[in-house]
Amino acid sequence: MIKIEQEAWQLMVEHAQKTYPNECCGAMLGPIDGDTKTVRVALPLENAYPGAQRERYELRPEDLLFAEREARKNGMDLIGIFHSHPDCDAYFSKTDLENSCPWYSFVVLSIQKGQFHHANSWLPNMEQTEAAKEELEYPHA
Amino acid sequence: MPKILIPTPLRQFAEKKDSVDVDGATVGEVLAALTAAYPDMKKNLFNDEGKLRSFVNVYVNDEDIRFLEKDKTAVAATDTISIVPSIAGGKIAGGK
Ligand SMILES: [Zn+2]
Repeated sequence: MIKIEQEAWQLMVEHAQKTYPNECCGAMLGPIDGDTKTVRVALPLENAYPGAQRERYELRPEDLLFAEREARKNGMDLIGIFHSHPDCDAYFSKTDLENSCPWYSFVVLSIQKGQFHHANSWLPNMEQTEAAKEELEYPHA
Repeated sequence: MPKILIPTPLRQFAEKKDSVDVDGATVGEVLAALTAAYPDMKKNLFNDEGKLRSFVNVYVNDEDIRFLEKDKTAVAATDTISIVPSIAGGKIAGGK
Protein backbone atom coordinates (compact mmCIF):
# COMPACT_ATOMS: atom_id res chain seq x y z
CA MET A 1 0.00 0.00 0.00
CA ILE A 2 0.97 3.63 -0.33
CA LYS A 3 0.53 6.24 2.40
CA ILE A 4 0.94 9.95 1.77
CA GLU A 5 1.97 12.17 4.65
CA GLN A 6 0.24 15.48 5.36
CA GLU A 7 2.89 17.91 4.15
CA ALA A 8 3.55 16.05 0.91
CA TRP A 9 -0.17 15.64 0.28
CA GLN A 10 -0.86 19.31 0.76
CA LEU A 11 1.82 20.18 -1.78
CA MET A 12 0.43 17.68 -4.31
CA VAL A 13 -3.13 19.01 -4.00
CA GLU A 14 -1.95 22.62 -4.18
CA HIS A 15 0.14 21.90 -7.25
CA ALA A 16 -2.78 20.14 -8.95
CA GLN A 17 -5.26 22.93 -8.14
CA LYS A 18 -2.83 25.64 -9.20
CA THR A 19 -2.13 23.91 -12.51
CA TYR A 20 -5.86 23.43 -13.24
CA PRO A 21 -7.29 23.39 -15.91
CA ASN A 22 -4.08 21.78 -17.12
CA GLU A 23 -2.65 18.47 -15.96
CA CYS A 24 0.14 18.68 -13.41
CA CYS A 25 2.82 16.14 -12.57
CA GLY A 26 5.52 15.42 -10.02
CA ALA A 27 7.53 12.82 -8.14
CA MET A 28 6.93 11.22 -4.74
CA LEU A 29 9.82 10.32 -2.45
CA GLY A 30 10.00 8.49 0.83
CA PRO A 31 10.91 5.27 2.59
CA ILE A 32 9.67 1.81 1.65
CA ASP A 33 9.14 -0.62 4.51
CA GLY A 34 8.08 -4.07 3.39
CA ASP A 35 4.81 -3.58 1.54
CA THR A 36 4.26 -0.04 2.77
CA LYS A 37 5.49 2.94 0.80
CA THR A 38 5.36 6.23 2.67
CA VAL A 39 5.41 9.46 0.67
CA ARG A 40 7.29 11.97 2.79
CA VAL A 41 8.30 14.47 0.10
CA ALA A 42 6.38 15.55 -2.99
CA LEU A 43 8.38 17.15 -5.75
CA PRO A 44 6.22 19.15 -8.19
CA LEU A 45 7.81 18.94 -11.66
CA GLU A 46 7.09 20.81 -14.84
CA ASN A 47 4.63 19.36 -17.33
CA ALA A 48 6.85 19.19 -20.42
CA TYR A 49 4.20 18.03 -22.88
CA PRO A 50 4.63 20.22 -25.97
CA GLY A 51 0.92 20.32 -26.93
CA ALA A 52 -2.34 20.97 -25.05
CA GLN A 53 -1.68 20.24 -21.39
CA ARG A 54 -5.36 20.10 -20.47
CA GLU A 55 -5.31 16.45 -21.35
CA ARG A 56 -1.67 15.41 -21.41
CA TYR A 57 1.43 15.46 -19.26
CA GLU A 58 5.01 14.49 -19.82
CA LEU A 59 7.92 14.33 -17.41
CA ARG A 60 11.41 15.23 -18.55
CA PRO A 61 13.78 12.30 -17.91
CA GLU A 62 16.34 14.76 -16.53
CA ASP A 63 13.77 15.90 -13.95
CA LEU A 64 13.28 12.28 -12.91
CA LEU A 65 17.05 11.85 -12.75
CA PHE A 66 17.07 14.88 -10.43
CA ALA A 67 14.27 13.35 -8.32
CA GLU A 68 16.15 10.08 -8.09
CA ARG A 69 19.30 11.92 -6.96
CA GLU A 70 17.34 13.95 -4.39
CA ALA A 71 15.94 10.71 -2.97
CA ARG A 72 19.38 9.09 -2.72
CA LYS A 73 20.87 12.18 -1.15
CA ASN A 74 18.21 12.14 1.57
CA GLY A 75 18.28 8.41 2.20
CA MET A 76 14.87 7.94 0.58
CA ASP A 77 13.51 6.21 -2.49
CA LEU A 78 11.70 7.42 -5.56
CA ILE A 79 8.34 5.77 -4.88
CA GLY A 80 6.15 7.06 -7.61
CA ILE A 81 4.73 9.73 -9.84
CA PHE A 82 1.63 11.83 -9.39
CA HIS A 83 -0.45 13.68 -11.97
CA SER A 84 -3.87 15.25 -12.18
CA HIS A 85 -7.02 14.74 -14.25
CA PRO A 86 -8.84 18.07 -14.58
CA ASP A 87 -12.64 17.58 -14.53
CA CYS A 88 -12.19 13.86 -14.93
CA ASP A 89 -12.14 10.86 -12.58
CA ALA A 90 -8.88 9.45 -11.23
CA TYR A 91 -8.76 6.42 -13.53
CA PHE A 92 -5.66 5.22 -15.34
CA SER A 93 -6.29 6.03 -19.00
CA LYS A 94 -4.98 4.23 -22.07
CA THR A 95 -2.56 7.12 -22.61
CA ASP A 96 -1.40 6.84 -19.00
CA LEU A 97 -0.87 3.11 -19.43
CA GLU A 98 1.00 3.33 -22.72
CA ASN A 99 3.45 5.85 -21.27
CA SER A 100 3.87 4.27 -17.83
CA CYS A 101 6.69 2.45 -16.10
CA PRO A 102 5.91 -0.68 -14.04
CA TRP A 103 8.44 0.10 -11.33
CA TYR A 104 6.46 2.91 -9.72
CA SER A 105 3.15 3.82 -8.12
CA PHE A 106 1.05 6.27 -10.13
CA VAL A 107 -1.17 8.49 -8.02
CA VAL A 108 -3.89 10.28 -10.00
CA LEU A 109 -5.69 13.27 -8.47
CA SER A 110 -9.12 14.14 -9.80
CA ILE A 111 -9.59 17.91 -9.81
CA GLN A 112 -13.20 18.94 -10.39
CA LYS A 113 -13.96 22.60 -11.13
CA GLY A 114 -10.56 23.54 -9.72
CA GLN A 115 -10.95 21.67 -6.42
CA PHE A 116 -9.51 18.34 -5.33
CA HIS A 117 -12.16 15.63 -5.55
CA HIS A 118 -10.62 12.17 -5.09
CA ALA A 119 -7.45 10.19 -5.83
CA ASN A 120 -6.37 6.67 -6.75
CA SER A 121 -3.04 4.90 -6.97
CA TRP A 122 -2.21 2.53 -9.84
CA LEU A 123 0.44 -0.10 -10.51
CA PRO A 124 0.88 -0.64 -14.27
CA ASN A 125 2.21 -3.97 -15.56
CA MET A 126 5.40 -4.51 -17.56
CA GLU A 127 3.60 -4.85 -20.92
CA GLN A 128 1.68 -1.60 -20.34
CA THR A 129 -1.62 -3.40 -20.91
CA GLU A 130 -3.25 -3.03 -17.51
CA ALA A 131 -2.88 -1.32 -14.16
CA ALA A 132 -3.93 -2.68 -10.78
CA LYS A 133 -5.42 -0.39 -8.16
CA GLU A 134 -3.15 0.03 -5.17
CA GLU A 135 -4.42 0.69 -1.66
CA LEU A 136 -3.96 4.42 -1.06
CA GLU A 137 -4.14 6.39 2.17
CA TYR A 138 -4.08 10.18 2.17
CA PRO A 139 -5.00 12.78 4.79
CA HIS A 140 -8.47 14.25 4.55
CA ALA A 141 -8.45 18.00 4.03
CA MET B 1 35.00 0.25 -13.32
CA PRO B 2 31.90 2.17 -14.42
CA LYS B 3 29.20 2.32 -11.77
CA ILE B 4 25.52 1.65 -12.48
CA LEU B 5 23.03 3.18 -10.06
CA ILE B 6 20.14 0.79 -9.51
CA PRO B 7 16.64 2.32 -9.14
CA THR B 8 14.95 1.22 -5.90
CA PRO B 9 12.34 -1.09 -7.49
CA LEU B 10 15.10 -3.06 -9.28
CA ARG B 11 17.35 -3.58 -6.27
CA GLN B 12 15.41 -6.72 -5.37
CA PHE B 13 17.01 -8.28 -8.48
CA ALA B 14 20.53 -7.16 -7.55
CA GLU B 15 21.03 -8.51 -4.03
CA LYS B 16 19.48 -5.28 -2.71
CA LYS B 17 22.47 -3.24 -3.91
CA ASP B 18 21.87 0.41 -4.76
CA SER B 19 24.79 0.48 -7.19
CA VAL B 20 26.83 -2.10 -9.03
CA ASP B 21 30.31 -1.76 -10.55
CA VAL B 22 30.58 -3.58 -13.86
CA ASP B 23 33.10 -3.99 -16.63
CA GLY B 24 32.51 -2.60 -20.09
CA ALA B 25 33.65 0.06 -22.53
CA THR B 26 30.23 0.98 -23.91
CA VAL B 27 26.72 1.36 -22.47
CA GLY B 28 25.69 -1.84 -24.29
CA GLU B 29 28.56 -3.80 -22.74
CA VAL B 30 27.93 -2.44 -19.28
CA LEU B 31 24.21 -3.28 -19.40
CA ALA B 32 25.02 -6.74 -20.77
CA ALA B 33 27.41 -7.30 -17.85
CA LEU B 34 24.72 -6.13 -15.42
CA THR B 35 22.06 -8.47 -16.76
CA ALA B 36 24.57 -11.33 -16.96
CA ALA B 37 25.30 -10.87 -13.26
CA TYR B 38 21.64 -10.39 -12.37
CA PRO B 39 19.48 -12.21 -14.95
CA ASP B 40 16.18 -11.20 -13.30
CA MET B 41 17.00 -7.61 -14.14
CA LYS B 42 16.89 -8.36 -17.86
CA LYS B 43 13.15 -8.48 -18.46
CA ASN B 44 12.76 -5.18 -16.67
CA LEU B 45 15.18 -3.43 -18.98
CA PHE B 46 14.87 -5.26 -22.31
CA ASN B 47 11.95 -6.54 -24.36
CA ASP B 48 11.81 -9.95 -26.07
CA GLU B 49 13.71 -8.59 -29.07
CA GLY B 50 16.54 -7.52 -26.81
CA LYS B 51 15.81 -3.80 -27.22
CA LEU B 52 15.67 -1.41 -24.29
CA ARG B 53 12.06 -1.11 -23.15
CA SER B 54 10.23 2.05 -24.15
CA PHE B 55 10.08 3.27 -20.56
CA VAL B 56 13.83 2.94 -19.97
CA ASN B 57 16.23 5.85 -20.47
CA VAL B 58 19.92 5.51 -19.79
CA TYR B 59 22.14 8.35 -18.71
CA VAL B 60 25.94 8.47 -18.64
CA ASN B 61 26.59 11.01 -15.92
CA ASP B 62 24.26 13.86 -16.98
CA GLU B 63 23.84 12.85 -20.63
CA ASP B 64 20.95 10.91 -22.17
CA ILE B 65 22.46 8.20 -24.43
CA ARG B 66 19.70 8.80 -27.02
CA PHE B 67 21.53 12.04 -27.80
CA LEU B 68 24.96 10.40 -27.75
CA GLU B 69 25.61 7.12 -29.49
CA LYS B 70 22.89 5.07 -27.82
CA ASP B 71 24.18 1.65 -26.71
CA LYS B 72 27.50 2.34 -28.44
CA THR B 73 28.15 5.34 -26.20
CA ALA B 74 31.60 4.98 -24.65
CA VAL B 75 31.91 4.76 -20.88
CA ALA B 76 35.03 5.40 -18.82
CA ALA B 77 35.97 3.76 -15.53
CA THR B 78 34.94 6.88 -13.63
CA ASP B 79 31.50 7.23 -15.27
CA THR B 80 28.21 6.77 -13.46
CA ILE B 81 25.33 5.24 -15.38
CA SER B 82 21.75 5.96 -14.32
CA ILE B 83 18.59 4.11 -15.36
CA VAL B 84 15.80 6.67 -15.59
CA PRO B 85 12.14 5.96 -16.38
CA SER B 86 10.33 7.59 -19.26
CA ILE B 87 6.89 8.72 -18.11
CA ALA B 88 3.97 10.62 -19.62
CA GLY B 89 0.21 10.29 -19.86
CA GLY B 90 -3.09 12.05 -20.15
CA LYS B 91 -6.73 11.71 -19.29
CA ILE B 92 -7.96 11.30 -22.87
CA ALA B 93 -7.91 8.28 -25.19
CA GLY B 94 -10.82 6.44 -23.66
CA GLY B 95 -10.43 6.37 -19.91
CA LYS B 96 -11.94 3.25 -18.42
ZN1 LIG C 1 -3.72 10.39 -16.37
